[in-house]
Amino acid sequence: MNKIINSLKSKIYFDKYIFISITMLSLMGLIFLYSASDGNTSTVVKQSFFVLFGLILMFVVSQPDPDFYKNNSLIFLIISIILILLTLLIGKEVNGAKRWLDLGVFTLQTSEIIKISLPIFLAAYLYDKTLPINLFETFLTLFLILLIVNLVRIQPDLGTSLVILIAGLYILFLAGLSWRFIGVSSGIFILSLPFIWNNFLEPFQRQRILTLLDPTADPFGSGWNITQSKIAIGSGGIQGKGYQMGSQAHLDFLPETETDFIFSVIAEEFGFIGVCILLAVFFFILIRCLYLALNARDRFCRLTIGGLSLLFLSTIFINLAMVVGIIPVVGMPLPFISKGGSSLLSFYIAFGIIISMASHKKLMQK
Amino acid sequence: MIDLNERISEKKNFFNRLVFVYIFFGFLFLYLIYKTFSLQVSSYTDYEIASLKNKTREILIQPRRGIIYDRNGQIIVNNVPSYNLIIKPSEVKDLDSVLLSIKQIIDIPDSQIDNIKDSYKTKKKLNRELILKKNLNNEEIAKFEVRKYKYPSLFIAERYSRENAYSNLFSHSVGYVGNASESNVQEILSLQDLTPKETIFLYSNGYLSGKTGLEYIYDRELRGLYGKKIFEVDASGKLLKEIEMIPSIDGENIYTSLDLKAQKVAFDKLNNRRGAVVAVDLKNGSIVSYVSSPSFSVNNITSGLSQEEFDKLLNDENKPFFDRAGQGRYSPASTIKPAIGLFGLETGLIDWRFTIEDIGYFTLPEDGRIYRGWKEGGHGKINLQDAIIESSNTFFFSLAYQTEVEELIEYLSNFGFGQNVCSDCFFPDRGLLPSPIWKMNTHNFGWFKGDTVNLGVGQGYLSATPLQLAYYSAFIANKGTLNYLSFVPDNKVKTKNNFISNNINDNDWKKIHQSMIGVIESPRGTAGRLKNLKEYIIAAKSGTVELVSTETKEDYKIIRETEGKRDHAIIVAFGPMPEPKYAVSVVIENGESGGSVAGPVAIGVLNSLINNE
Repeated sequence: MNKIINSLKSKIYFDKYIFISITMLSLMGLIFLYSASDGNTSTVVKQSFFVLFGLILMFVVSQPDPDFYKNNSLIFLIISIILILLTLLIGKEVNGAKRWLDLGVFTLQTSEIIKISLPIFLAAYLYDKTLPINLFETFLTLFLILLIVNLVRIQPDLGTSLVILIAGLYILFLAGLSWRFIGVSSGIFILSLPFIWNNFLEPFQRQRILTLLDPTADPFGSGWNITQSKIAIGSGGIQGKGYQMGSQAHLDFLPETETDFIFSVIAEEFGFIGVCILLAVFFFILIRCLYLALNARDRFCRLTIGGLSLLFLSTIFINLAMVVGIIPVVGMPLPFISKGGSSLLSFYIAFGIIISMASHKKLMQK
Repeated sequence: MIDLNERISEKKNFFNRLVFVYIFFGFLFLYLIYKTFSLQVSSYTDYEIASLKNKTREILIQPRRGIIYDRNGQIIVNNVPSYNLIIKPSEVKDLDSVLLSIKQIIDIPDSQIDNIKDSYKTKKKLNRELILKKNLNNEEIAKFEVRKYKYPSLFIAERYSRENAYSNLFSHSVGYVGNASESNVQEILSLQDLTPKETIFLYSNGYLSGKTGLEYIYDRELRGLYGKKIFEVDASGKLLKEIEMIPSIDGENIYTSLDLKAQKVAFDKLNNRRGAVVAVDLKNGSIVSYVSSPSFSVNNITSGLSQEEFDKLLNDENKPFFDRAGQGRYSPASTIKPAIGLFGLETGLIDWRFTIEDIGYFTLPEDGRIYRGWKEGGHGKINLQDAIIESSNTFFFSLAYQTEVEELIEYLSNFGFGQNVCSDCFFPDRGLLPSPIWKMNTHNFGWFKGDTVNLGVGQGYLSATPLQLAYYSAFIANKGTLNYLSFVPDNKVKTKNNFISNNINDNDWKKIHQSMIGVIESPRGTAGRLKNLKEYIIAAKSGTVELVSTETKEDYKIIRETEGKRDHAIIVAFGPMPEPKYAVSVVIENGESGGSVAGPVAIGVLNSLINNE
C-alpha cells in the first residue's frame, strides 16, 4: 500500500508551499468577495467555481515537464496573438472597451493569456542564446513586446498592456540586458514621455493621472474613487469595522468593490491587521518563488519563474498602489482576491507552470 | 570547464538581478505599508469622521411656535392643524394609476399633478415624501379614510398653519408671521450652530419668522429650538434608516397684557375710522389695548395674498398697514395743558390761587400777534383748575410765554414726549419734541417766542404718538411714576421712570386729577357730554388738533368741507377716580371734537377694563 502511494507520489508533481498558500489566498478571496458583493451568493458561487477550476487547472498544468512548455512556446504565443486579433475584430464591447471574446459559457479576456505566453516564449527564445544577447536580438524581442503591448493598449486596456510590457522587460532584464542599454533606453523613454502623453493616452487616462496629483480638485468627479477609497481604508483603523460592517463599501460610496477596489473593502473591514495578514501571505508566495527561481534546473526555468513571479509581484503592487492613491487608477485586479474569470485563471496557470518547473528535476543538467 | 564557469557566472548574474528587483519592490512595498499605516493609524480620526459624514445625513425638525395669550388666558394666536394628503414615492409602483384613482375621490388640480410628476423621481430615489394636496377639508378626509386600504402608499398627515383667532383685532400689536428669507433662516439656525438643510416642516408654509408686532419682537422666544433626525444614507443620498433623533423644543408661549374685551370695544368703537386707541394698566405700565384703525386681516397675509389683493391694501388711502398707535404723529393739542400747568407750579410761575383775565385771546408783546382761544370773549377771570376744565388757551399762552423754553422742553420729556416709552413695541416712533436747536437745524430759523406760546397749548411743532399720549396719561394718573410700557409684563427688565420734582407734592397731583375730573363732571367742562356714558368717575383732557389755522368759525366751516382738513379729535383719560387703574389715549383723525368724538371711545374702553377687573 505504502509502495503504491510512494510510486504515485513520485509521479505527481507538486509544491505544497505554493499550493497551500494559493488555496488559502483563494479561500480568503471568497470570504472577502462575499462582503464586497454585499452578500451576493450567486457572485460568490460563480467565483467558487472559478477557484475550484483554477486549482485543478494549476494542478494539471504543473504535471508536464517544463520542456513541453519550452518546445511549444511559439505555438502558444501565436495562438495568443490570434486571440488578441480576434478580440479586436469580433470582441464584446463593454463601456467602450473591446477586451473580451464571448465563448458562450465564459467570456475570455484574451490579454490575460498573452500575459503568460509572452514571457514563456521569451524565456524559451533566450534558452540557447549566448548571454547577454546581442543588439539585433534585443531589438527583435523589444519589437515583439511593443507590438503585443500596443495590440492590447488599443482595446483600450492600459493596465494589462502595462503589465505585459513589464513581464516582457523582466525576462530581458533577467537574461542580462546590459546596463548601458537599459540606461540609454530609459533616457529615451523619459524624453519621449510628453509625446506618449499626447499621442498614446486616452483623455480619460490623462484625467486619471491628473486626478492622482490632486484628488481633492474634483472630489465628485474623477477624484471620487480615490477619495472614497482613502476614506474606506483610513476609517478601517487598526482593527477594522468588522466583517460586512464597512459603511463605505456597503452604502455604495466605494466603486468597483468586487474587482479593483476590493483591497479597500478588506482594509475597511479588517483594518491594518487584516492588511498585514493578507500581505504576509503574498510575501510568503513571493519568497518561495524567489527560492525556486534561484534553484531552478535550467535557464528556461530560471527566467520563467523569475519573470512570472515578478509579474505577480507587479500586479499586486499596481493594485495596492492604485487604491491607496500612489498611482493613477488603472483597471488592475488583486490576484486571487478580486472577482474575475480570465485574470484569476491566468495566475493559476502561471503558478501551475512555476510548480512544474520547480518539481521536475533533470539529472543531466545542461 | 569553461562551460561550467560560464553557467556559474550566468547564474550569479541572474541571482543578482532577481534579488535586485525584489529589493527594489521591497522598498516600494515598505512605502505602500507606510502609506496604509498613515491612512489607518496616523490619520485614522480624520478618515473615521469622513466616513461617518459620508454615511449620515442630518434632517432638521421644525419646532412648534409658541402660543400667544391675552391677559385672561384667551388664545390670540394659535397653531391650527390642517391636513395634507401625502404620497410615499418609494412605495409606489405605478404613479399614474395611483393618481388617476385618487383623483376620483379627491380633486387635485392638473397643475399640481404636473408638479407631482416632476419631483416624483427624485423623491423616490431619495426616499422622501411628496405632498399631493394641502388643506384637505373634512369631506375629503372622510372620503379618503374610508378607502384608505386601497392606497397603501398614501396617507394623511397633520401640518400646522399659524392663525390669529381674531384676524383684524391684533394686526398692529401682535402682528403676523411670514416665510423666513434665506438669510433669515441662516441666521436663525446659526444660533443653534446649524446650517440650512433639509427640514421636516411642522408648518405647511415652511420656515416661519415673525414679521411685525410681538411676533417679530418675541420671535426668538416664540420660535423654539430645531431638533434633528440623523439618518444613515447611501452614496446617492437615499435615506436608509433613522439612527438618532434629537427632538425639537417648542417655542415659549407668550402671555401678553392685552385684554381681548377692551380690544374689541376699542376696535368696535373706532368702527373703521382712521384713528388709534392705546390703554395702559397703571399697576405695571403694561399695555392692555392697542388698536390702529382701519385694520387688515393678518391671517390673509400669513396664508398668502395675491399681488392684486396686497396692492389694494397697500394703496388704500386709509393706509390700513400703517400703525397709527405707535407711529402716527399727532399734536397733543389741549391734552398737553395739565403738563404745562404742572410746569408752572414746579417753577413757581403760578400757584393754584393765581388767576389771569381771559379776554379770549393772548397778544404777544413782541410783535402784537394775536393767539386766540376757542371761546369768543374769553373765560373771564380764571385760575389753573378752571383753565384745565374749560380749556382756556389764553391762560396757557400767557403761562408758556413766561417760561424758559429749554426748561419746558426738558420738563415735557419726563412725560414721554420725544422719548421711546415702550420696551417691546414694534419700531415705535418718538414723535417730535421741538427745541431751538432742532428748529435751527431743520428749518434754518431761530426759535420765536411765539413757538413757545404755541407749545403751551400743544400745537405747532410738538407731536406725539397715541402710544406716547397713553404713557403721558398714565404718568399723570400715577402721579409721576411709571414703568416703560410693555405688552408682556415682567418679561424684560424695566426701569421705573420717577418724576424728579422739588415743588410738586401729592396735593398738587390731586388737584390736577380734580381738574381733569372736572373736564367731564363740571357743568363748564369741555367733555361734559361724556357724563352720561361713563360708569365710573373718570379724569380726562380732550383736545382738538387744528390741521389748518383759521381766524374765525366761518373760515373753519369752509375748511371742513374737505374731510382731510378737519381737526383731529384727541383725548387722554384715566379712572376710576380717585384710585385710577387704567389710562387711555384716543385719536380719531378728522374727528373734529376731542370730547364728543374721541371721548366715547375712551370711556367705552375704560368701562370695559374696569368692569372686567
